[in-house]
Amino acid sequence: MDNFFDLNIPFAEIDRVDGKAKVTGKADYVAEHDLPNLTYGVLVGSTIANGTVTAIDTKSAERAPGVLAVITHLNAPKVPGYEEGENPAKGRTGGGGLKIFNDNRIRFNGQPIALVVADTFERATYAASLIKAQYNKEAPHTSLADAIKNDKPIEGDNYKEAVRGEKDAWKTAPVKVEGTYIMPIQVHNPMELHATIARWDGDDKVTVWEKTQGVVSTQQSIANAFKLEQKNVQVYAPYVGGGFGSALRTWPHAIAAVMAAKKLGRPVKLVLTRPQMFMLVGYRPEAIQHISIGATPDGKIVGMRHDAYAVTSNYENFNEGLVAQTKQLYACANLATKYNIYPMNLSTPTWMRGPGEATGSFPLECALDELSYALNLDPIELRKRNYAETDPENGKPYSSKFLREAYDLGAEKFGWKGRKPQPRSMEEDGWLVGYGMSSGMFGAFRGEGRVRLKFSGDGMLTIQSAVSDSGPGTATAMTRIASDAMGLPVNKVNFELGNSAFPPGPTQGGSSTTSTLGTTVSMACDSLKKKLVELLKTQESEIALADVQFAQGEMRLKNGKSISYTDALKAANLPSIELTESSGRNPEMQKYSAYSYSVHFVRVKVHPLTGVVRIDKVVSAGDAGRIISEKTAASQMKGGAVGGIGGALMEEGVIDHRYGRWVNNNFADYHVPVHADVPDVEVVFVNKPDPVLNPNGSKGMGEIALIGFAAAVANAVYHATGKRIRELPITPDKVLL
Amino acid sequence: MNSHTENDPCCGGQSRRSFLKRSTATAAILAAPPVLVRAAEKKLDEQGAEYFEKLPLKIEVNGKPFSLSVEPRVTLLDLLREQLHLTGTKKGCDYGQCGACTVHVDGQRVLSCLSLAGMQDGKKITTIEGLASGDDLHPLQEAFIRHDGFQCGYCTPGQIMSAVACIKEGHAGSDAEIREYMSGNICRCGAYPNIVDAIREVAQKGGVK
Amino acid sequence: MINFDYSKPATVGAAITALSKDTKAKFIAGGTNLVDLMKRGVTTPEKLIDITGLPLKGIEQSGTVVRIGALALNSEVAENDIVKKQLPLLSQALKAGASAQIRNMATVGGNMLQRTRCGYFYDTAMPCNKREPGTGCGALQGYNRMHAILGASDSCIAVHPSDMCVALAALDATVVVQGPGGTRKLPFLDFHRLPGNTPEKDNNLQRGELITGVEVPVNPSLAQHSLYTKIRDRASYAFALVSVAAALDMKGKTIRQARLAMGGVAHKPWRLTIAENFLQGKEATVANFQQAASLALKEAKGYGYNNFKLTLGPNTLVQTLKTLTGV
Repeated sequence: MDNFFDLNIPFAEIDRVDGKAKVTGKADYVAEHDLPNLTYGVLVGSTIANGTVTAIDTKSAERAPGVLAVITHLNAPKVPGYEEGENPAKGRTGGGGLKIFNDNRIRFNGQPIALVVADTFERATYAASLIKAQYNKEAPHTSLADAIKNDKPIEGDNYKEAVRGEKDAWKTAPVKVEGTYIMPIQVHNPMELHATIARWDGDDKVTVWEKTQGVVSTQQSIANAFKLEQKNVQVYAPYVGGGFGSALRTWPHAIAAVMAAKKLGRPVKLVLTRPQMFMLVGYRPEAIQHISIGATPDGKIVGMRHDAYAVTSNYENFNEGLVAQTKQLYACANLATKYNIYPMNLSTPTWMRGPGEATGSFPLECALDELSYALNLDPIELRKRNYAETDPENGKPYSSKFLREAYDLGAEKFGWKGRKPQPRSMEEDGWLVGYGMSSGMFGAFRGEGRVRLKFSGDGMLTIQSAVSDSGPGTATAMTRIASDAMGLPVNKVNFELGNSAFPPGPTQGGSSTTSTLGTTVSMACDSLKKKLVELLKTQESEIALADVQFAQGEMRLKNGKSISYTDALKAANLPSIELTESSGRNPEMQKYSAYSYSVHFVRVKVHPLTGVVRIDKVVSAGDAGRIISEKTAASQMKGGAVGGIGGALMEEGVIDHRYGRWVNNNFADYHVPVHADVPDVEVVFVNKPDPVLNPNGSKGMGEIALIGFAAAVANAVYHATGKRIRELPITPDKVLL
Repeated sequence: MNSHTENDPCCGGQSRRSFLKRSTATAAILAAPPVLVRAAEKKLDEQGAEYFEKLPLKIEVNGKPFSLSVEPRVTLLDLLREQLHLTGTKKGCDYGQCGACTVHVDGQRVLSCLSLAGMQDGKKITTIEGLASGDDLHPLQEAFIRHDGFQCGYCTPGQIMSAVACIKEGHAGSDAEIREYMSGNICRCGAYPNIVDAIREVAQKGGVK
Repeated sequence: MINFDYSKPATVGAAITALSKDTKAKFIAGGTNLVDLMKRGVTTPEKLIDITGLPLKGIEQSGTVVRIGALALNSEVAENDIVKKQLPLLSQALKAGASAQIRNMATVGGNMLQRTRCGYFYDTAMPCNKREPGTGCGALQGYNRMHAILGASDSCIAVHPSDMCVALAALDATVVVQGPGGTRKLPFLDFHRLPGNTPEKDNNLQRGELITGVEVPVNPSLAQHSLYTKIRDRASYAFALVSVAAALDMKGKTIRQARLAMGGVAHKPWRLTIAENFLQGKEATVANFQQAASLALKEAKGYGYNNFKLTLGPNTLVQTLKTLTGV
């Protein structure tokens, strides 16, 4: 793979390209598209977690003013895609695992049992409250602790014990730590409510505005569900108000909206309520994990064991990498891990920022911290003594790894050397003070992308791809890359997204969008350069691409001549140059392992009488390759820290297991951080390019921003108080008792 | 109106006749009675028609007067978004728990999701769409861009409307004060540090008009 | 939301008449709680009587009493110069509640009538004696982390969520109400009720009565040493796990009088009379504070998830007194 640029030149900082639209209220999110004859859909959820619907009274709702349709399993139009694929492990087909309104079976509390469509939002909402269902109730199963005691986990290849070296080596090591760690359900809760607007344009064509992180995957899901040609499903997602994973798949409510729009022959807008956001668009599954580590007195890890238990729904197996980091972060010859999931009366979880790694890093990085105290060793030093120089799973070299640099940069910025090693040894204004750190890692990927590029005679470079941006700033990063590649000012580059009619782009997930699409954009710019140089060939003979410098909108030749791109077009009598470009995985990468790394530093103050924990300093250091867009990259790291503060100190989905029903599915009772919880967050990047993964030298960042953060907080609380809290969130009650 | 049963479910179990009777009785004792627009009295069919009384509503939104009629249950948020198509004001929770719907009513920041539209008669509403003058952004809008005070942008209009008020109220004197007085605006992307930077900068430059 | 009839009377008399005539009617002012409850279907009034046009917004001092109109906004009261000077505890408590936006909407009267935040109360699919008498208490053996440790019954273990009311309870306020039969005054501590067998009744207002204001006695000595402490799961915009309103009249190191109330622990703001009596005339020492705190919570009982409040409650009181007296 050629390197198109000098990777050591940093990108200049730019403002977010969609900033003006966002600060003026002009950015239009899904629910904000107005269509003629628009109708409003409201979902009604079940009030039991397990059983069947025996009767459902829709008469009052049907007679209520403005009501146009009430859809239940009794009258729902057939979704052709639902006829296929009963295998729960398969999932993600036909618009998602739950076949909405397909039968009378209730699988989780809040499962949609009806969709009411009316001419106004108020009328639909009121009519929805009139729906009354009768049930044949069965006992709900929602408690993971009970399931571990009483039930068998799901079997299969994903859940087999994995052993490296000697399975029980940790047991005979001179120094051992062990612990059981609990992480409750956490919920993505992007600020924008999930929403779908569906409009049929004839019998075999549908247009859908959808909150999605994957424009193309949504197009495919809806095409599969309704057996349409993919091109006949038009998806728009110009602005996505956050996702963090909740918009990675097309959920049943979207299928319901499309179904209803077809039945009515009118466009339907369906917006979930905030409580429904807890039940219908995934969550981070509750996990109970046991970890054991054995080490030598000089701090070399001898062996580890990590058992993870998590929940899934009883209609899909949701898997993620809870034990992945334990296998990969430290050099350790002997290891055993086992991942277990239990089917419950819950909706299917889905990847939430830093997915399984964020869950798995909590026990791992707390155990490392505990080990550092057992060994009387600085926690960073302990990690360095077990630094993996090659991938411990397969021995492969890393495409790049600057974790050591990240430890040092972060520690320096944070002032780690001011930490007194003894727990409960630091105080300030009557508060106990604690320093904590941890590290995180996540695979660095590059997938397939495709863009269309057009350079016009007016000097404007437009690039289009069917991706969406839930917030990281994809258009900004792509603009940055194209502007640098072409030597064009940022305002002469226009990156368009959120439209399935554009060439297929990747789903925005797994911290891979910039790596994937940045490659495509770089290659497209290179193709444009070649075409521009070809235009010169009529005037200048024998020009090699390498001899042309592209800067400030012009081609500068070795002979001192220069010609602007637009003049070159004019001379060739061309109104524009258009091309499409695609890029895929880098085959070279088979020889390497590739990861991004983060190191989080946290200073907490803990009140000894009330158990209140306040985080008053955060430094996150990242090895995310070369930073493409400094400002948005720093914001993304800060955002991960804020999410981490939430997970560490306050986020907890609570289900009353007697009813299998949510108790706190709203923002007053499920706490996410507010301004007052968050101090200034400092971010520092190693900012060294990965020379292999992609031509821009970038690696992913969205996940590592969060992974490990909860452990850093728990470790700081231990340092402040001498109390090891192994259950999240760390609320005052847990600190006190 | 004679076609309805006495147990018509559409008005909470009350028959429509008694419903109307009740309304009339109420109107008689009011010192300042609203003029009720009764679609029912215009003999419109209830299905799809304006069955319930609507309230006349005169409000000014971003300097523009509106003369409307709304169902009493319509919130200011839904009025702005669904009827006036001013979708810059966001619905994040609908229960007063997130601040995304923050607007100014007579210059004060309030939550439009918990405000009944009908109760805003005679009031001046300012939304994010009314903050900039033409192409000239409000200093806070500019500062939010400069400091990258958002990612997905969904909470941003509420944050900015709240921030404008926060400075005006004199609650932007320190970072701690800004954080406390902005805590009614949740940002799930975690742009808080950048938002505080933006507010501090504008407050220190002498605030806003 | 159910649709409803709407009226906006201009006089207190007209408002009271309108409410008295209709058992399904409710007053609405700020709406911050009522509209929320209506959206969830927890309450379904068929008529709302908008009282925001009534002349009940004033805040004034006459002699040794501060009178605060029922329609004064939480933010107005919190920022009012008289209140900040004479009743700093009230100002602090108000600022600890909700968010700036909500405080710009919520009124003093409405805050007093705020209903519990119990999750079982809010979910119409769950049992709740307060919402639907006879259906049982979901919280009693359920998720009761936020719930009462004092004065609860087997019918209901909900807590009153207001911060303002905790301060008013400590400050010996009086509630002024007007009804079809005229005006009457209730001591603040008699305004809210314990759940007993009728948890559906939050307070002792009679049908047709309207809160017109509160009167709070001024005490400069207490005002000098006032502190509201709120412990919650996040730093702001959250309901209290436990809160303490404290005002001390100090002479040197000696406590001449104490006014103490606790929030987040009962169906009403909980005045800590036994602790007050214990502290009267005592030296401000940690040992005395601890003893007062353990006396204060002597009758407290946990229900499982909320057992921590048996520790957090006394500790928060001790911490508040320590901060107030600098010991």
